[in-house]
Amino acid sequence: MAVIINLVYAKAIGVTQGILARQAGGDMWIVSILSTLIGLCIMLLTVFIIKRYPNKNIFEQTRGLVGKWGEKILSLLLFIFFLGAFGGVMITLVYHLMDYFLPDAPTILFVIIAILAGIVGLFYGIEVIARVAILGTFSIIMLNILILFGSLSYFEIRHFFPVLKNGLWNGIEATKHPNGDWAMATLMVAILLPMVKEKQKWFAYTGKSIVFGGLLILLWPILQVGVLSPEVTGQYIVSCMQMARSAEIGLFIHRYELIMIIFFSLSALVQIMICLLCAVISVKHLTGVQNLNKLTIPVATILGAFGYWVVVDHIRAMDLLTYYWPRVAMPIAFGVPIIVFILGTVIKNKKDNVISG
Amino acid sequence: MSKVITILVILCCLVGCIGKEEIDDLAMVMSFAIDKNEENNNLIITAQIARPGNVTGDTGGGGEGEPIWTATSEGETIFEAIRNLARFSSRRVFWAHNFIIVVSEKVAREDGLVDIIDFFNRNNELRMRTWVVISEKDARELVATKTGLEIVPGMSLDRLFRYSDIVSEAPRSDVMTLTSAYLGEHTHPYLAMVNIRDRGINTESPEEFGSIPQVELSGTAIFKDDKMVGKLTAEESRGFLWFIDKIESAIVPLSCPEQNDRRTSVELRENKFNISPYIENDTVKFEATVKTKPHLVELGCLTSKEHSEIVTILEEKVEAAIIQDIEIMLAKVQKEFKSDVLQLGRTFEGKYPGQWKEMESSWDDIYPNVEVKISVKSDIKNTLLLENPTRPAKD
Repeated sequence: MAVIINLVYAKAIGVTQGILARQAGGDMWIVSILSTLIGLCIMLLTVFIIKRYPNKNIFEQTRGLVGKWGEKILSLLLFIFFLGAFGGVMITLVYHLMDYFLPDAPTILFVIIAILAGIVGLFYGIEVIARVAILGTFSIIMLNILILFGSLSYFEIRHFFPVLKNGLWNGIEATKHPNGDWAMATLMVAILLPMVKEKQKWFAYTGKSIVFGGLLILLWPILQVGVLSPEVTGQYIVSCMQMARSAEIGLFIHRYELIMIIFFSLSALVQIMICLLCAVISVKHLTGVQNLNKLTIPVATILGAFGYWVVVDHIRAMDLLTYYWPRVAMPIAFGVPIIVFILGTVIKNKKDNVISG
Repeated sequence: MSKVITILVILCCLVGCIGKEEIDDLAMVMSFAIDKNEENNNLIITAQIARPGNVTGDTGGGGEGEPIWTATSEGETIFEAIRNLARFSSRRVFWAHNFIIVVSEKVAREDGLVDIIDFFNRNNELRMRTWVVISEKDARELVATKTGLEIVPGMSLDRLFRYSDIVSEAPRSDVMTLTSAYLGEHTHPYLAMVNIRDRGINTESPEEFGSIPQVELSGTAIFKDDKMVGKLTAEESRGFLWFIDKIESAIVPLSCPEQNDRRTSVELRENKFNISPYIENDTVKFEATVKTKPHLVELGCLTSKEHSEIVTILEEKVEAAIIQDIEIMLAKVQKEFKSDVLQLGRTFEGKYPGQWKEMESSWDDIYPNVEVKISVKSDIKNTLLLENPTRPAKD
């Protein structure tokens, strides 16, 4: 549960909300709810797919259903997805730290540190990453409580009206941005869920994590609309930092940027580690190399190089994230679970192959 | 591997050293002014910078020099002017602790504020809750004035606004409210106005009564887009604040019942304001409702009446006074300035989005003639400590 919440939170509250404000205006909170519901559906579908053959991840199931080349195509698709997702994660991390705290530091430094942190995470394994995520969840709750207390006095309900100003269809269309965040969680589940024990609780765990994660994220668009106004939220690359910059409790606790970074950094760290882990597993199935350690450095280098290329230019980064990333992420995020589900349902005679692996 | 990880962790911890700023190397700006050089149209900036070593704290300490250093520089843009400050400042100018940005009325009227809004929103050091105000005189004069009780005048100005809700005669405008109003569709900014007046008294030469200049709130600057188009006096601002802020407290001086030469005053408390649009005969109208529970704080009337009788009369006077404040303000803001700083358009859009789409493009023409009905309900229940009006027993 904690991994799913952390994996979505850091990017969803800041960079994604800024994009949403530009597209959906004051309806960004409704878009967040719609997207959470869509994420919940895709997550339950993904869990259903994996639960059919609970010892096999989505690559192994695909190999059993359509053969080796099917597995390779899928692993290439998922590698591309996590490569792109890593770009989004880098935008979130680097622009939080560099733009607000260390403007003089070279961009490459943030990327190298992020990659090193990711490699350390992989070295210790998924269990340690999950423990970090539990701490991350507590940090997220603390951050939400603090931002709530620091902003509530400036809250204005009139910013929310009229509801659905740009129409329901525009809201649904705008869900493509947060859907990309939830897709990281659903595709991670498709890869890592077989490692989780207590298979009978898979539905409950994943469902609850989407609901709790969605609620923790939902606080931000509500506050951003009510406190900053949609226009101000949409003005910034990292809108959550603007919230933090405007929050204050009394005379002495103001400017939450540092508080925010402290509490949100674990979530960002989990995002980096999981993206790297899932990318490495995807490459493992693509290349057939069995030893993950041999793949870690090359994959980390590719992700790092891509991440650097993305973040080194603010304008390109935001164009990629706003216009191009949804076109890549949406077909993979929706297409992969749906196609594997249909294949698993239709090609019944392949079941034996799947089970035998 | 664990050694490598340890080294990596240590190296990561050193990242914060890049671009580090030692506190001794920083010139911490406490207040900041923007004026215009009329000869060459350049911007003149004035920064009031704290000298921490000379700021005496509550527990003593501190040097004997001036606690502040005020310097000025000039440039074609704000950033150039700030960089020019570095030509003679021995420390790097640091904005994170700035309390207030003062803009001269001339800059606000002639050049507009878009450059200021953009620059300070891009700047990662500045707080979004930094006050932004308009100065009737040169802004640099105001920044250089030692005002208030605090050792650092910038801090006095900060507290002047922080506690200005007890007078309710100027809005509390900061970078965030300014940005939000400027960026909003069909909304326009407003800023507090300040002025310098001889209010302070020198205890060493009391014969020069009221000889020390002090900064005081003087009303509200009204903008259309980013340019200032007019101002409301402190009295007119009382009516304005109902629409844009939550009024915690306000004083209404009144004449006594049946004694026009004697005065009484009530303090408006537990105030509620609501503005609601409606359509009547295809015409947009608004109804503004004020509910208040004033405290009777001062009664300088020679009267034989009991409190219960007096408050009934005062309630009517309070209601009339509030209605008058709002009507005077509306006449100026709607008819004279024609700027929707009251966010009436946005309020209407919130309730009637369909109709708003039809009139959105012509709102600027409709707005000046929109009727706002005002209804006030005043309910004086609290006479503070006294059971009866103050009068001698012999009466």
